[in-house]
Amino acid sequence: MKDQAAIRFQGARVVYPNGAVGLARVDLDIQPGEFVVVVGSSGAGKSTLLRSVNGLTPLTAGSITVGGQPVPKKEGAELRRLRAGVGMIFQDFRITRRLSVMTNVLVGRVAHVPGWRAMLNLWPAGDREIAFRALERVGIADKAWVRAGDLSGGQQQRVGIARALAQEPAIILADEPVASLDPVTTHQIMRDLVRINQELGITTVVNLHFLDLARRYGQRIIGLKDGELVYDGSADSVTQEDFKNIYGRDPDAGDMLDESAAS
Amino acid sequence: MSHLRDESEEHDTAAPRPLRPARNWALILGAAAAVILMTWWSARGIGFSLVELACNLPGGRRLLVESWPPDWGFFPRLLAPLLETLQIAVIGTVIGGLLAIPIAVLAARNLTPGVLVWFVDRNFMNVLRTLPDLFWAMLFAAAVGFGPIAGALALTVFTVAVISKLWSESLEAIDMAVPEAVRAAGGSWLAMLQFGAIPQALPHYVSYTLYAFELNVRASMILGLVGAGGIGMVLETQRSTFEYPRVTLIVLSVLVLVLIIEQISESIRRRLT
Amino acid sequence: MTTRAAWAPASGMGWGTRVTLFVAILFLLCAWAIDLTPAALADLPSQMVTVLSFFYPADMAYGATRVWPALLESIQIAWMGTIIAAVLSLPLALLGARTLFPRIARLVKLISATARAFPEILLAIYFVPIVGLGAFAGALAIGISSVGMLTKLGSEVVESIDMGPVEAVQAAGGSRLLALRYAVIPQVLPEIIAHWLFRFELNIRASAVLGVVGAGGVGGVLLNTLRYRHFEKAAAVLLLTILVVLIIDMASGAIRRRLLR
Repeated sequence: MKDQAAIRFQGARVVYPNGAVGLARVDLDIQPGEFVVVVGSSGAGKSTLLRSVNGLTPLTAGSITVGGQPVPKKEGAELRRLRAGVGMIFQDFRITRRLSVMTNVLVGRVAHVPGWRAMLNLWPAGDREIAFRALERVGIADKAWVRAGDLSGGQQQRVGIARALAQEPAIILADEPVASLDPVTTHQIMRDLVRINQELGITTVVNLHFLDLARRYGQRIIGLKDGELVYDGSADSVTQEDFKNIYGRDPDAGDMLDESAAS
Repeated sequence: MSHLRDESEEHDTAAPRPLRPARNWALILGAAAAVILMTWWSARGIGFSLVELACNLPGGRRLLVESWPPDWGFFPRLLAPLLETLQIAVIGTVIGGLLAIPIAVLAARNLTPGVLVWFVDRNFMNVLRTLPDLFWAMLFAAAVGFGPIAGALALTVFTVAVISKLWSESLEAIDMAVPEAVRAAGGSWLAMLQFGAIPQALPHYVSYTLYAFELNVRASMILGLVGAGGIGMVLETQRSTFEYPRVTLIVLSVLVLVLIIEQISESIRRRLT
Repeated sequence: MTTRAAWAPASGMGWGTRVTLFVAILFLLCAWAIDLTPAALADLPSQMVTVLSFFYPADMAYGATRVWPALLESIQIAWMGTIIAAVLSLPLALLGARTLFPRIARLVKLISATARAFPEILLAIYFVPIVGLGAFAGALAIGISSVGMLTKLGSEVVESIDMGPVEAVQAAGGSRLLALRYAVIPQVLPEIIAHWLFRFELNIRASAVLGVVGAGGVGGVLLNTLRYRHFEKAAAVLLLTILVVLIIDMASGAIRRRLLR
């Protein structure tokens, strides 16, 4: 069970149809239960890295295995099974505004119930229980029946997190989950992610834009530049030199969330 | 991870779970019942029958086969009526377009000189829009006699209805800074319109007029069915004598004509924006 | 106010003036061609007034006995036609969305463009000999003509939505069908229903007219009253039609506004 949460990149390479290189070559091992933060400038390949794990962006060469199983290259039942075990959180939340919070979270259970039940919105009691517990874990159970679009940004992201949790996943991928949020909410969400990782042991990979956030919340930091791994180490040991390697320039205020932390 | 402990932000997991709010069953069932009832009533009223449709399909096939190929030889007789159709469309669009200007202006909340005028004009516009163009054609045909003039009048009314509704909405959306400046400089209401308001909405006016012209070319093929001139009159005679190959020819010719006009109109409108 | 086109001659005539001149000449040519002389124009007001005087008072007894049932029939035709079109256009709108089905969408758009090209009355002309005179032909004509427009509008709505939630459902392991149900339909259904309602408003007007070719409804009644110059009866037709259309417009508009809030 533990190994199901391991991710391994071997020679992973992604070239888009228009010729742009998403990932040049990545070899990376992520152990079950790790909390990994990925940093890099825009276009460095952070999103591509995450999206290749659940097959949203297919690899051009190389392989990725999740829990020992290779990620299927084509859409189909096998890929859906894999995705059921991998929860994804997006920068723009990606919840359906017109539906209730509860329905949005239940979407996380679609791969776990028979198709007809999912289509008719008739969820078994067990799945509804899981959904409620997911909402409680992020603290918005009282908003269960509110129209999702009526919530604040931070609350909507929590719905997204609850949806991922409802999948009871082995892995959570968070693609710039706080980029659209204000500083206070940003810290709340980051703390939620860390807590989930610690309490439930879910392997968590988070793309972050702000360096100070990365250093503050990450255990292990991966730096990407032009689709390649240029840094892989603990959060405490990132130096100015490493930063220059990752971003190709010196850090400035724009790279920090809290201006006081700018060195 | 010790730095996480300085924020004492713990989620209250002990809060009671809210119950699902009761759906407004009255509204949902009521709406569903209304739709179902309406559909059942309508289907019965018109004699809707899939069985009958299926039975009639062979007959339909025969009709379509009979209608094809079109009677190409009949085409020369269409040229004059098609031309007349275009002429009706031009006249209807031009007169209607001119008349639509004051009617649209008076219906624009930000430009109208008075509430009563606006109210009357608004309702007048709505009434114009309620009657289909063919009704106007029938009325005018009865009033001034069969022929293209009746058609032109009917299209005039139709054009006024279309352009004034669309353009009054454009006028309501203009930037009021310039018209107010004209007023502030001592200009009259007309001067405000001429220099402040209308120039802003002019491109929309041209666009809507072209659109109305397109609609009018389509409509004028039909107006003749009730005697209002144009190709429709030929269509009616051929239809009532069941000359379907000729009917098909007419339909094709009109479609081609409409397509050509649409292309020209599109390219003009694209040049505007 | 008048912008100079690059190719405009230096004679001082702006774009606007040229266009106006062109339109004026075109107008005069057409007017001459159809005998719209100033004399004819001068006659018009008196002709209209003469006819209008015959309209009053309206024969409302006739209105109750002959017009009202025909109006109801027009409503039935419009309703059935709209229902047929709505049911058919929902799946077609989804299939016709480039963002969902890139390959099939082009074909669907072509089909809907073809269906759109035919005014209802033309379709009715073909349907009447097939299924016989009467309202059924009218409903079919309206249905097919409306499918074209509703499919086009529906596809545009679907193409305009946020595709993010669609990917999110798939990322959770959901199939394309489930993504449609939980991410696409909730975003588009209110707009699409509003389009159906507006189409119903337009179809009432269309169905009123179809009687002219024998496809049922109040159009045939009006044509007859005018043919026999029974203007007071025609007045009844017009008054009742205006009334019904206004009421339906108001009700439909109110529902649409509530849907889109």
